[in-house]
Amino acid sequence: MSAEDLGILWLTVRVAAIATLVNLPIGVAMGWALSRSRGPVRTLAETILSLPLVLPPTAVGLLLLTTLRRNGPLGRVLESAGIEILFTARAVVIASAVMSLPFLVRFARTAFEEVDPRLLAMARTLGDSQSAAFRRVALPLAWRGIAAGTLLAFSRALGEFGATILVAGNIPGRTQTLALAIFQRSHIGQDDAAMRLVAVTVVLAFAAVLATEILTSRRAHRTDAKEADLS
Amino acid sequence: MIRLDVRLPLPRFTLRVEAELAGGIAVLGPSGSGKTSLLETIAGLRPRARGRISVDGVALMDDTPGIRLPPERRGVGYVPQDALLFPHRDVAANVRFGLKGGAPAQLFQELVEILEIGPLLRRFPNAISGGERQRVALARALATQPRLLLLDEPLAALDVELKERILPYLLRVRDAVGVPFLYVTHNAGEAAAVAEEAILLRRGEVVRHGPVDRVLAAMASERVDPAARYENVLAGVLEPRGEGAGETAVFHSNGGRLIVPAPSDAAPPGRTVFSVAPEDILVSATAPEGVSARNRLFGRVVAVREDETGTWVRVEAEGIPWTVRLTRAAEHELALAPGAQVWLTIKAHSFRRIS
Repeated sequence: MSAEDLGILWLTVRVAAIATLVNLPIGVAMGWALSRSRGPVRTLAETILSLPLVLPPTAVGLLLLTTLRRNGPLGRVLESAGIEILFTARAVVIASAVMSLPFLVRFARTAFEEVDPRLLAMARTLGDSQSAAFRRVALPLAWRGIAAGTLLAFSRALGEFGATILVAGNIPGRTQTLALAIFQRSHIGQDDAAMRLVAVTVVLAFAAVLATEILTSRRAHRTDAKEADLS
Repeated sequence: MIRLDVRLPLPRFTLRVEAELAGGIAVLGPSGSGKTSLLETIAGLRPRARGRISVDGVALMDDTPGIRLPPERRGVGYVPQDALLFPHRDVAANVRFGLKGGAPAQLFQELVEILEIGPLLRRFPNAISGGERQRVALARALATQPRLLLLDEPLAALDVELKERILPYLLRVRDAVGVPFLYVTHNAGEAAAVAEEAILLRRGEVVRHGPVDRVLAAMASERVDPAARYENVLAGVLEPRGEGAGETAVFHSNGGRLIVPAPSDAAPPGRTVFSVAPEDILVSATAPEGVSARNRLFGRVVAVREDETGTWVRVEAEGIPWTVRLTRAAEHELALAPGAQVWLTIKAHSFRRIS
């Protein structure tokens, strides 16, 4: 791997990690709120939150671009605050965060839904406030699912392409992540160089998905062990 | 003293309970009569409940000054049927969950000893038995030093043998810790063994309230709860036995004198509870002669009732209301009707000691 390759890898991992860290509290809060709510509001919220999963990433990218550009609704505020977003690494973070949030929310929601609400009620009768019960019971019981969702969201952020290229461009050394570099190199005929990066992405994705699998299947093992104990 | 005046709308009826309770109280009633909802209301887990709840003068809920303590500030310990231990914490961490900073240092150790959970402390809830889980749940609730304990069929999920092993722990907790409690159960024996007072709920209303054996007797005669086996449950005192006493003992209950199996341990002082299955009582129209059974009681038929489960006869004998189960043919042959004089014959060994 060349120094350039390493630079691309470092940028990609850093940007995906920041996007995931930003998403973590948001995703956990949204997953918790969704798991405790019912009715049409929840259904609507679920649907909107899932849109990034099904929309073409370029469509999401264009929507973000419209929002963030200088005369867009958010762009004006950002410009007056002197914050530059578009075509910087920050834009890559935002695009990856938006595209990967649904994974985190869905996993967190499912994990919280598996926590018996009666256990939370029990914690209350034992002296815990609502937030203490969340911290001491809901979170520790759901952490496996949340961790799996976080890893999956991180993997998704690593490979984000469509939305990123619209809001961040493909600027080597600045916004060029692995996915963008592979596209550019194969476009200009540097297939071997592109293939090196493909190998890197395969290793990264393999590690992340394997870790997710281990986290989600450990749970099943524990249930088996429990049944074996009692028989 | 627990003062209740609560209302809670439920899907099929409104729970309305107005009562003043003290000590150990059995909460009886058929499934779906509002027993669990009552406990959850007291624990503060039913936001739609209205009215007043106070325990020893402390208001947990009172609509008029607008008091509504959240569950964590009520000081009410809750032990549900399925224990609900925290699966991610070992037994010690479960018991310590509600231990307050100000709790006496030896409280944890005391609870571990009373409930004999020392060997389980490092194990997780999924690796201990149902009976052990109940003991841990009880210790966990007591660790908060509650002013009131709510027990929701804590033994219902256990089989008979286990039940008999857990019951002594409950009695020990009652006697050693002395915290007042509400005990929901379907089982007459359990109710008689742990509680002094009982309330009977039907469709969310208190239909009976009084000494536990009286309420149980009334339930038996009215067959209130078809799911429950309401045996003849008698609370009373065993006569101290002299030297070389045989295999039987004398038991006094409600003014009646009965011959029962001698307890295996030294004659237990204080209140003892026995039960007799309605099938184990013989009815005859004339005085039984030359029978081996130790108890021959003269009495009068109070009521006769037939349903799909058989014929049930209520007999008042030796001041005790008895429930007897007969076949239809036997009932016709004896021509039993309210007011008829009858003899009841019960073997000493038909009496089973509950506590």
